Amino acid sequence: MLESFIVPLLAATVQSGTPILYATLGEILTEKGGILNLGVEGMMSMAAFVAFAVAYTTGNPWLAFICGGLAGTVMAMLHGFVCITCLGNQVVSGLALTILGVGLCNFLGTPFIGLAAPGFSKFAVPVLSSIPYLGKIFFRQDALVYFCYFIPFIFMIFMNRTRLGIAITAVGEKPGAAAAAGLKAVKLRWMALLGGGFLIGLGGAYLSLAYTHLWANGLAGGRGWIAVALVIFAFWRPGRAVFGAYLFGGVMAFQLRLQAIGTHIPSSLLLMLPYALTILVLIFSAVRGRGGNAPSHLGINIEPEG
Amino acid sequence: MLGYRLQKRDEPWSWGAPIIVVGALVLSLGISALLLKLQGKSAVEGLFVLWQGSFGASWALEDALLKSIPIFLCALGVATAFRMQVWNIGAEGQFALGAIGATWAALNFPDLPGYLLMPLMFFSAAVFGGFWAYIPAILRLKLKVNEIISTLMLNYIAILLLEYLVFGVWKDPKSYGFPVTPEFTGGAVIGQIGDSRLHWGFVVCIGAGLGMWAFMRFTRLGFDIKVAGEGQRVAMYSRLPYGKLTILVMAISGALAGWAGCIETSAVVNRLQPSIMVGYGYTAIVVAWLARLHPLYIAISAYLLAALRVGVENMQLELQIPAAFGSIMEGLILMSVLAGQMLVTYKIRRKK
Amino acid sequence: MKGPQDLTRPDSQKATGFADAAPLISLKGITKRFGKVVANKDISLDLYPGRIKALLGENGAGKSTLMNMLAGRFKPDEGYIEVDGVRKEFTSSKDAIKAGIGMVYQHFMLVETMTVAENVLLGQEGSFFINPREMNDRVRKLAVDYELEIDPTARISDLSMGEKQRVEILKLLYRESRVLIFDEPTAVLTPREAFRLFEALWAMTRLGKSVVFISHKLEEVMAIADEVAILRRGAIDDEVMRDKITSKADLACRMVGKEVLLEVTKEDVEIGEKVLEVKNMTGIGLRGINLHVRKGEVVAIVGVAGNGQQELVEGVSGLRKPPKDTIFIMNKPWRKFFAEMTWNNSMSYIPEDRLDLATARNLDLVDNLLLTTGKGFTKGPFLQRDKAAKVAQELVEEYDVRPGRIQALAWQLSGGNLQKMVLARELYRQPHLIVAEQPTQGLDISATEEVWNKLLEARKMAGILLITGDLGEAVQLADRVAVMYCGQIMDEFPVTDTAKLDNIGLLMAGVRE
Repeated sequence: MLESFIVPLLAATVQSGTPILYATLGEILTEKGGILNLGVEGMMSMAAFVAFAVAYTTGNPWLAFICGGLAGTVMAMLHGFVCITCLGNQVVSGLALTILGVGLCNFLGTPFIGLAAPGFSKFAVPVLSSIPYLGKIFFRQDALVYFCYFIPFIFMIFMNRTRLGIAITAVGEKPGAAAAAGLKAVKLRWMALLGGGFLIGLGGAYLSLAYTHLWANGLAGGRGWIAVALVIFAFWRPGRAVFGAYLFGGVMAFQLRLQAIGTHIPSSLLLMLPYALTILVLIFSAVRGRGGNAPSHLGINIEPEG
Repeated sequence: MLGYRLQKRDEPWSWGAPIIVVGALVLSLGISALLLKLQGKSAVEGLFVLWQGSFGASWALEDALLKSIPIFLCALGVATAFRMQVWNIGAEGQFALGAIGATWAALNFPDLPGYLLMPLMFFSAAVFGGFWAYIPAILRLKLKVNEIISTLMLNYIAILLLEYLVFGVWKDPKSYGFPVTPEFTGGAVIGQIGDSRLHWGFVVCIGAGLGMWAFMRFTRLGFDIKVAGEGQRVAMYSRLPYGKLTILVMAISGALAGWAGCIETSAVVNRLQPSIMVGYGYTAIVVAWLARLHPLYIAISAYLLAALRVGVENMQLELQIPAAFGSIMEGLILMSVLAGQMLVTYKIRRKK
Repeated sequence: MKGPQDLTRPDSQKATGFADAAPLISLKGITKRFGKVVANKDISLDLYPGRIKALLGENGAGKSTLMNMLAGRFKPDEGYIEVDGVRKEFTSSKDAIKAGIGMVYQHFMLVETMTVAENVLLGQEGSFFINPREMNDRVRKLAVDYELEIDPTARISDLSMGEKQRVEILKLLYRESRVLIFDEPTAVLTPREAFRLFEALWAMTRLGKSVVFISHKLEEVMAIADEVAILRRGAIDDEVMRDKITSKADLACRMVGKEVLLEVTKEDVEIGEKVLEVKNMTGIGLRGINLHVRKGEVVAIVGVAGNGQQELVEGVSGLRKPPKDTIFIMNKPWRKFFAEMTWNNSMSYIPEDRLDLATARNLDLVDNLLLTTGKGFTKGPFLQRDKAAKVAQELVEEYDVRPGRIQALAWQLSGGNLQKMVLARELYRQPHLIVAEQPTQGLDISATEEVWNKLLEARKMAGILLITGDLGEAVQLADRVAVMYCGQIMDEFPVTDTAKLDNIGLLMAGVRE
């Protein structure tokens, strides 16, 4: 049971949690700067497509991965133009971005359906992969998963130990105070938004480069929305985001495995699991009463001064 | 930056709203045309086919009117919630639940006469849709659970629930494996108006629109909703039951979307099947925002976006352009309107 | 113990050696407009090292706008700023900070979730990475050097108002600002804390820094300023050396423009039954409060902001649930009163926050009238908006609410006109109890006078609970004064008791004889 079911399940958990983790961290960075970006689903879709298209045409998965991130940044720019420059409503702009991103991805992606592109494949890390159980779970993955192990740490150091990270936090909490201290509040918001967009894009790229190597429409499958919910669950902290992302990765992997084994439970009910869990997770966070951890100026635009 | 800055207007720009919407439409059409070009299709021909499909023929106008019925009802509901700053993104799921509710009534009481069955279906659709909206409302009130995400997740769950039903317990044994319920009996089908393809759901739609308009404008409850939308603090000061109003607007919102689902199953497909879920609930959000939440403008923009959908279907048929083209346009229109709305309150001034 | 009366600077605190120094900063003909409103008109000022310049003016006279231009947040439409005799163009706060200008805002510009040290270092240039321990040590040393003791690792949200202000001052000192601007710094302080602040300001002038002290409190200006500039309607009305001012009354005359100080005549009104009674109330941040208000009288609650006044108001006005059987309004227990409350002949609450609590900013005046009078314009499920519009028009005319159109949205009204509209609406309800919170804050003298007169007139139908931070207002309006400190009522006495009135500063600081 352990060898044949649990260990492979946990290994699959890590893999399907990875894109969610990238996206969740990206959204945390965005929200730390005070911008609510509900376009994650659209950004991931678009990034998945761009990454796939680049990999398909150039054959270079690393370049494709970076391009996926940049696609996220470009999408974030649209959101920034609407909300930061034009002071549009952040909730609605995010929704529009999702509609647009998913639409673009399906429109541009239709000719690619069923095609395969080079991507990342799994390899074992020497020494570490021979640790009993843990080695199989964590160190027989693809390069992007390994890369993702480092990001939460870098993220934590960036937010707590660098001037820029603290400045971004200040802008999300109280842009007026940041501006009075001589910081360029609007510029910092842009940086958080675009940086976050890049990470979200990486999450999308993972879907088409490593999670699957075949193009299909609708790859994001609600993961973007799960990432938005996980930010609340994580209380805007990267450490808890890791836990949340792997939790969802686990549920998705579990559900796929059950379908593969062939149970009597209809697949539509199994597919509901991650979405139902998202609501449960939000209820759990609410009961723990940490919604107050949200950046105080989240979702509120900075009005220009005289 | 760039030598321009924003300056607040003393009075809002009164002609701004229509100009911005037209500008947004033109801009979005332009960008979409570019996309067509990128895909190696003729932009001019594409836009012509889009126009033909949207407004160029009587069948197109009729089709658009048919499609605007569910969109209008969903948007009317969504707008009511938005007015109170309750972000109900769940019209899609509430639509599904309404369809399920109506089907439940239609399948369980097939022998009832229409004048009894039809009200029962509408009632059950409103209850099912309203209930689906009540869940996020109560979660938001009691636990401060973010309703944007909960309504969205409930959309996914609702669609899967609908699939579960038509693939399972409600599946028509005579459907040769297709996931559909048995066809509704005569009493459960909303009929056509005269010889046209238009059905009586259209009248329901007009009634609902007028009703909501009058409700918001003339009743005290409507006024209370308007005030509560100005913020929780003002609501508290005016001693409004903010929580109850939240639940009320969500229930209204869900019930209207539920009706849309009911009409779509009963009048258009005459049975429940997954193909009714084509994203009207999301289009409704675009419509509500374009119309700045006003019932009359909602009617106009619902028709506009319905026409766009018909036009895109025409493009799909004639030029093999993916249906996603419609979402791109919707997203672009909404984003450009949002960006443009700044011009209502601000002037752009050259920096000195 | 220092009361507010003897704040004067001891000779040992005088800054010397800067007598002939050139100005650090000069403002040259500064004009600033917001739309059609001219906030500052052709203002020229010189700020010298080692001196404290008081900038005196009513709320809305343009003090904050002027200082925001110095701090680089706004750009002047005309005129310019000279630093050390060199013309400078500030495009952002950063430029002002670089020029050595630092500002302590009335509403602190601190990030509540971050630590003291993080706030002090926010916006400072330096290495990409920071070392928290070194950062804390530096801030701790600075605090010790200037005797502004504070724990650098403490979170801002855990600090008192006085401590937060110390953090703001540390920010300026850390940046070695040469010109320190304080916007209404004593509004949040007890008299004792205020005196500590003054000592700190004097210490800074001895270091050759220039201090700008913005205030509308005459005694403070008399106590600490070297020079006084008076701002009226956006222009410098008068600029004098402190020595030339003979008395507080003299300064007052200069401030209001050669007019007499505002005084309203208070007719005697028949005192009626109790409309509010607070019995031994402990909870929601208050301790052992006993208080009553009778019809026909004004009871003023005074004290430094944040000592429980807000909790008391929220309890009485029904925004927050008080403990059982502590508050009785019109002889009914709280719960019963609010359950049965009618729209008129009941209670009116005139809050401090006019724009987002008392009115809805995006609604017009008719809708805003309906906010609390809606029940009076209801027939069945329907709202009689036409009738309400007629009443709104009458009220707008009676109270001279400008610009006189009932279609105007709340945000388009100036503070004074908005307050008049709120007052008109609340008095239209014929209340028996009025809770008025800072009713004239931010209003000019004529609007203040109107509000005061209306409130005094309202005594004929109601008892008034007045919450104010302005002692003058309390003296003008109240029959009895209660002083709050730390959620308790320190003392309550008739306004005629001048001996107690003189000692009110001590009471406000929590000292009982």
